[in-house]
Amino acid sequence: MNGRLSWWRSMAGTKDMASCMQVARQLHAYLDGEIDDVAARRIARHLELCRRCGLEASTYTEIKSALVRRGEPVPDEALERLRRFGEDLVDQPRDESGDETG
Amino acid sequence: MFSGRVRVASIVEEPVIVEDERRRQLYRACVLPELDVLLRVAMTMTEQRADAEDLVQDTLLRAWRSINTFDGRHQRAWLLTIMRNAQINRHRRRRPELLDDPGRAAERDVTAAAGSAEDVVVGRTFDAVVDAALAALPVKFRQVVLLVDVDGLTYAEAADALGVPEGTVMSRLHRARRRIRDRLAAADLAPRRRRL
Repeated sequence: MNGRLSWWRSMAGTKDMASCMQVARQLHAYLDGEIDDVAARRIARHLELCRRCGLEASTYTEIKSALVRRGEPVPDEALERLRRFGEDLVDQPRDESGDETG
Repeated sequence: MFSGRVRVASIVEEPVIVEDERRRQLYRACVLPELDVLLRVAMTMTEQRADAEDLVQDTLLRAWRSINTFDGRHQRAWLLTIMRNAQINRHRRRRPELLDDPGRAAERDVTAAAGSAEDVVVGRTFDAVVDAALAALPVKFRQVVLLVDVDGLTYAEAADALGVPEGTVMSRLHRARRRIRDRLAAADLAPRRRRL
């Protein structure tokens, strides 16, 4: 794995690239936008050049997309009922002021 | 004498009125804009629409009662924590035998939800297999996937919603996605997992 990576690095002319091992460790956080920009750029660079890691990334991206498609819209009528409930709560005179911890 | 009484009353009441107004403003600015996310997360946590709405109502009420303790920052994290506690209380009321370990109900549901490998292979499209694989996941894995991938929460927000450390969210998420991927691979819809 390291030999292949050295070859890529020499081809790409950059050291600013994550290793396969680092990608494996951080791939999910990368796909979820949970890592900083510098780390994300290093991983993106690796994914452009490494076919196996790129394939891994696109598999999980497809899974994420399928899950997003699965999401149902929040029912408008329920949302409206809750909005009214919340508004009524703050509009009524203050009577229950206990400091309840969440 | 009468005017004196009015003056004393206004001195005492004015700060109370201002404080009440501040609470209302804080609630309108920080709680009501999160309704959509709260309902989405509640639907994931309860898996029943009617229960979800009740849970959000409960959360709104608790948030209003504890608005004095809220510093106005990270409202989503604050609300998700309130919702988690509300959910635990609801769960205890319904299933008193789970008082010591509310997580046990989730564990028991696992076997009921798990589908066989054959069920999964029957689903021919990518989405159908993902759906079946999701249904076959243990509840605590499925909830993390739904919170992050479907409801769009960050790892930190999902951790607040579930009352677990962020690292636990990450590890459950990775394992859950790997299981979904393995089901897809079994149906020849994804490459097999490689080992480094």
